[in-house]
Amino acid sequence: MRFAFLCRDRPSPTGRKVAVIGAGPAGLSATGYLVCQGHEVHVYDKLPEPGGLMLFGIPEFRIPIYRVREGYEELREVFGVTFHTGTKVTFGERKDEGDEFVKETVDFNEIREQFDAVLIATGTWRSWIASIEGTDLEGVYPALEYLFRIKSAKLGHMSWNSIPPVQGKHVMVIGAGHTAVDAALESVLLGAEKVYLSYRRTIHEAPAGAYEINLLKQKGVRWLELTVPARIIGENGKVVAVELQRCKLGEPDESGRRRPIPIEGSNFQIDVDYVIFAIGQTPTPPFSEDVGIATDRKGRIVVDMRHMTSVEGVFAAGDVVTGPSKVGKAVLDGLNAAESMHIWLEGGE
Amino acid sequence: MAKRVFIDFSRCIECRACEVACEREHGGRSFISVFEWEEMAAMAMNCRHCERAPCVEVCPTNALYRDDDGAVLLAPQKCIGCLMCGIVCPFGIPELDSLNKIMMKCDLCADRRAEGKLPACVETCPTDALSYGDFNEIQRRRRGRFTRETIELTKKAEGFGLLQP
Repeated sequence: MRFAFLCRDRPSPTGRKVAVIGAGPAGLSATGYLVCQGHEVHVYDKLPEPGGLMLFGIPEFRIPIYRVREGYEELREVFGVTFHTGTKVTFGERKDEGDEFVKETVDFNEIREQFDAVLIATGTWRSWIASIEGTDLEGVYPALEYLFRIKSAKLGHMSWNSIPPVQGKHVMVIGAGHTAVDAALESVLLGAEKVYLSYRRTIHEAPAGAYEINLLKQKGVRWLELTVPARIIGENGKVVAVELQRCKLGEPDESGRRRPIPIEGSNFQIDVDYVIFAIGQTPTPPFSEDVGIATDRKGRIVVDMRHMTSVEGVFAAGDVVTGPSKVGKAVLDGLNAAESMHIWLEGGE
Repeated sequence: MAKRVFIDFSRCIECRACEVACEREHGGRSFISVFEWEEMAAMAMNCRHCERAPCVEVCPTNALYRDDDGAVLLAPQKCIGCLMCGIVCPFGIPELDSLNKIMMKCDLCADRRAEGKLPACVETCPTDALSYGDFNEIQRRRRGRFTRETIELTKKAEGFGLLQP
């Protein structure tokens, strides 16, 4: 996966320095564009390797590891990009998924002072967890953390002992998006005895699409549509079962999909050892306190037409701006932002 | 000879990075499109540069021609925008550029190939769904992969004994 696909060799340097925070598809494609314009780019990422969710979230059977490695290695070897891995850029205290590898913390404002322009492309690394009883039990995971641990072990950054031992166990994944599908498939591959997928609407509304859900069913995943977790039941601090409540579909909500309405007294229990929440992620910008960068009510960074945030010289792109999307969309956003950054760096509007 | 973009539908994750790269390469216009269907996998589709291309056959002004790599290209100065190529194409590939009043289609990134580079969509695809090369060579590689996977599978399933006498 080439990121600097616009040029082949490194052009003569412009003398300008750009910091890219986050080495996912948006950050890396922006980096590719900027080095093709001759800017010096430093990429910061809290993980031990660049690639973001393409490497640490999306399973290998979808995106081969070597494709991503090839891409960032070219940026480093041919275009002289400096990667600061294991380095979390932040302002204020906050714990996020994937923080296990942070060796060093750099102050966001320090980065702003050191570089001519900054691009924030830190994505959406916090998973939603339903606010129900029992989510603090051992065996409850946010989907991203679950997938992240599996991929980290595959990449050799984490020992297999740190992976939830789902072999021979019962796993329930809540949600029906791409992350949910991937979490269910990885559970099957890890040898879980039973894998359940609980979704509050039907297969026709599943964000991952009916095709993916049907593939899962063929692989033996039990599809529980029109169900919503009511509580997680534990014993000695560990998950032993989930209580689900059946739903029916009501009138369409603001997203245009029919709203699930829980049915009173329809609760039933399923014995499980692990519960994985894949019900959405929220943006994780590199600040948790006010640094003058505006975010909207969903936590997304607000940018103007030029992809610039409310702070001059600080740009943002990818999922941290758009909310969870797709690799291609993040690549596009990263390229557009990089183009604006280049124009701005060269003194244009 | 006969170099093509091979599309492995089973590997496409519908991320649309190919469309983005193509747009970049062709001034905001993508000549590869990813289609998604509720009941079906995603499918990326671009010009097949057919060996016996109906568009080349039907073009009244010889605006469509084949280059040394086997790509079907359009000479804009010859095109009269009659749409015939688009009508005969079974895949619905050629489109009308309404500004310049001529047809437009995938050129397998002629400029990039001239510099020894791969088409932009292939470079950008994160999943190996797109590959570029001699079609028969790609098929050979796929056959090789199939046999390798079969052997690995057999090794895993002890006692299954596909390779044992």
